[in-house]
Amino acid sequence: MASYDHEVIRDLIDGQLPWQSTKSMMSQYKDDDRFFKYIDILQERVVFNDPILLPIGEHLYIVAKKSEPQGERVVKCSCGYEFGHYTHNWKLHAVINVRNDEEAVAEIYPGRHSYDPEWMEIREFICPGCARLLEVEAAAPGYPIVFDFLPYLETFYRDWLGKELPAEPRRD
Amino acid sequence: MNEAVENKTMTFKEQLLENDRKFRETGCYAGITALTYREDDPLRYESLHTKLRSMTIAAREMARSISASPGVREVGEMVVALYTPEGDAISLSTGIMVHVHTMSRFIKWMIQNGYEESPGICPGDVFANNDAFIGTVQVPDVMVVVPIFHNDELVGWAGTVAHELEVGGITPGGDVYLAQERFTEGLFVCAEKVGENDELRRDYLIRLERNLRMPIYWMFDDKAKLAANLELRDQVKELIDEVGLDYFKRATREFIEEGRRSQLSRVKQLMVPGRYRGHTFYGHLTEGKPGILPLGDENLLYSIPLELDVGGDGQMHLDFEGTGSWGYHSMNCTPAGMDGGLFVTLTQSMNFEGKVNDGAWLATDMNLPSGTWTNPDRHTVATATSWALLLPAFGIFQRLISRGFVSRGFKEEAFVGQVNSPMVEMGGQSQYGSQFGMAMFECSAAGSGALGIKDGIDNGYVGWNPESDMGNMEVWEQGIPMLYLGRSIAADSGGVGRNRGGTSFTSLWLVHNTDEVTIATSEHSSRVFDNAGMCGGYPAPTAHRHFTVRNSNMKQLIEEQKPLPHSLGNDPHITDLERLVEGDQKEVEGPHIDRPLQSGDLFAHSYNGGGGYGDPIERDPLEVVRDVENGYVTAEIAQRAHAVVLEYDEKRNTWSVNKTATEARREEVRKSRLSKAMPVEDWIESERERVLEGDFVTEVRKMYQDTMSISNHFATEFREFWNLPDDFTM
Repeated sequence: MASYDHEVIRDLIDGQLPWQSTKSMMSQYKDDDRFFKYIDILQERVVFNDPILLPIGEHLYIVAKKSEPQGERVVKCSCGYEFGHYTHNWKLHAVINVRNDEEAVAEIYPGRHSYDPEWMEIREFICPGCARLLEVEAAAPGYPIVFDFLPYLETFYRDWLGKELPAEPRRD
Repeated sequence: MNEAVENKTMTFKEQLLENDRKFRETGCYAGITALTYREDDPLRYESLHTKLRSMTIAAREMARSISASPGVREVGEMVVALYTPEGDAISLSTGIMVHVHTMSRFIKWMIQNGYEESPGICPGDVFANNDAFIGTVQVPDVMVVVPIFHNDELVGWAGTVAHELEVGGITPGGDVYLAQERFTEGLFVCAEKVGENDELRRDYLIRLERNLRMPIYWMFDDKAKLAANLELRDQVKELIDEVGLDYFKRATREFIEEGRRSQLSRVKQLMVPGRYRGHTFYGHLTEGKPGILPLGDENLLYSIPLELDVGGDGQMHLDFEGTGSWGYHSMNCTPAGMDGGLFVTLTQSMNFEGKVNDGAWLATDMNLPSGTWTNPDRHTVATATSWALLLPAFGIFQRLISRGFVSRGFKEEAFVGQVNSPMVEMGGQSQYGSQFGMAMFECSAAGSGALGIKDGIDNGYVGWNPESDMGNMEVWEQGIPMLYLGRSIAADSGGVGRNRGGTSFTSLWLVHNTDEVTIATSEHSSRVFDNAGMCGGYPAPTAHRHFTVRNSNMKQLIEEQKPLPHSLGNDPHITDLERLVEGDQKEVEGPHIDRPLQSGDLFAHSYNGGGGYGDPIERDPLEVVRDVENGYVTAEIAQRAHAVVLEYDEKRNTWSVNKTATEARREEVRKSRLSKAMPVEDWIESERERVLEGDFVTEVRKMYQDTMSISNHFATEFREFWNLPDDFTM
């Protein structure tokens, strides 16, 4: 079974590995020890010490809080901004910029590339802590915000990874 | 002898029911609870599979050289497959992986409908089908199958599908855009016996000759398909003689059970269990266009939500609850078509090893709500351009599983995914003076979505054919009365992001040597995005427009050797047609349904790019300037969307990055984002008023009225999200 060291995986996820090596890794059987090496690499890159349990996007992680309530599983941005418990939609705690007028549309989609802001809007979900653009939704006006991903964390750790999740304090 | 092979005395229908019973009772395909042949002698087992796969590939390559259609010869729109007697896919060639389970449905349909008794299933018989309610995606996907008998026992089926370029519908081409009900879609062959004694019946060929604008494509393709099937059948029979029938029957079923298990284990290896959600939209602009019948004379907005549940056992459940009703248009889809969408996605993301078969289908399931476009509750609806909605739908699926790959650490597999691929269909008087009809398959190479680790594929990807190839312009020119003035990269057609979506291309044609060519394009989303970005990336633009110039002064421009247009150009505000050509300029939004063109007129069409991945201001400025230099991105978008400050050297005609200014500009953008943005909870509160008042344009309001009436689940979630009264309706 394939296994790669941290350096290779670091370059791979950054798109820095030469294409031939990348292609070879994509064509090989996957490395079963990838997940925790990946977590190690991501953990080096964030400003907080809370252990990452699961990445759920670029710069977005479910972590086990070190501060009180200790062990609570919350969503955090790389910058440390906290978006609340992972079972709730993190987007509701972000800030939003909606492109729904001609001028704002034209910044990204000028002229014949434009969409019709009466039929559709671009919603930019931004981290209030570091201003990173975390997710973009293209939706009809009035369409509810999507909760992208609710992982079954316990099942994942216990049944798929064969590890126990750090305990979470009881939530009321 | 084992259970999987001891059913010689049963009818085909009993055999099919027995197989289903065993699966229900054991959870394993054909009741195969242990892969004993694989375990006992893996070399022999794998050798058999490799031989079967190579036979399907060889048969496909042979058929491509028989076909007269550039869709098959140039673009490879064909697949050859081997099925069990019950119609389950054992092995497929390369090619259009759409049809793993569509042909399966066709074979099962014949068995379930008593074909064994009438019209009989005998050695040498040939059956064909292009009815999506029986088992295919759309009317041009014509499939031909032959039974494989070994000493009077049905031991399997050989099947081949090709996408036909002309089907004799209300508008010329294969994707009959103007079809608004089944009755105008063209020539249907509904699970018919079309040949005996290994030959296509003459009366069937006469029917093709007399009902198609360009019969040569379908007729020669069918001959190519039959040849492929016979080649595969005869080779399989020889192989059975070599390995023994009992071994063949058990091993081929083990392949499928192994395929099922592999799919489950691959999900567990690459993803994270959970509930994934996403959506996309589709804008349909037909109101008032020529040929639109009263029931279809309206513009439509479709919402396509998808929830993917990945269970602890690795089973994937896709749920399209909340999407819209079927309509009087050609974009409805059948469950068979949805199977096609599922497999084009699965075979590119998880089910990519050699054993592509029906095992993966058994490891996934879909909720296709009755009455929606995914599962119309009447078989007379049109499905001729079903890709229009199903490609965006399975683009969501691609992004949802990619979210799982990102979470699990396999970012190299994350792929923002496929986008729509509009087809230019045409017919009328050919350059040779005869009648013609043709689907231009150059859309087989558009732009892909970005990957988690790199940019998308430029001008070289579509979701439905992993061997994407746009074909040579010279070959297409042989089939249509139009000359290419150019094929060009369409700048800014990929979604912006840290990794950019792949760009599409624009073709510009001069209509040549004809008095009348009707162009009817398909599969365009207008005014809205039918794709999306991921993790901060933006969707690729899909607000589609066509450009024509009638009564042009092209002849004069050519005589005076003045500059000619070769594309729409990179200025999004004015086209090169407007800059360089005089004549009656027209812009058609949405599908091009318009009066015929004639010699000297110009027509321009552009294809779709893919969505981006990641925050665009995290993109390496050097990559941005490289894109500008190479025409993939304009300087305008580089500066606005990527916040890169560029400097242009007029003498050398080169661009460079001002790094210090770029860093400052990006910092400004971050500040500006925060100053412009508002807390989401405040935004929800302000938008709630708009929702309560139903303050939307007609199409948006109608979309909500439709989806809320057809789905209580969606209506409840909608009301809960906006905190609306229980009796709220739009």
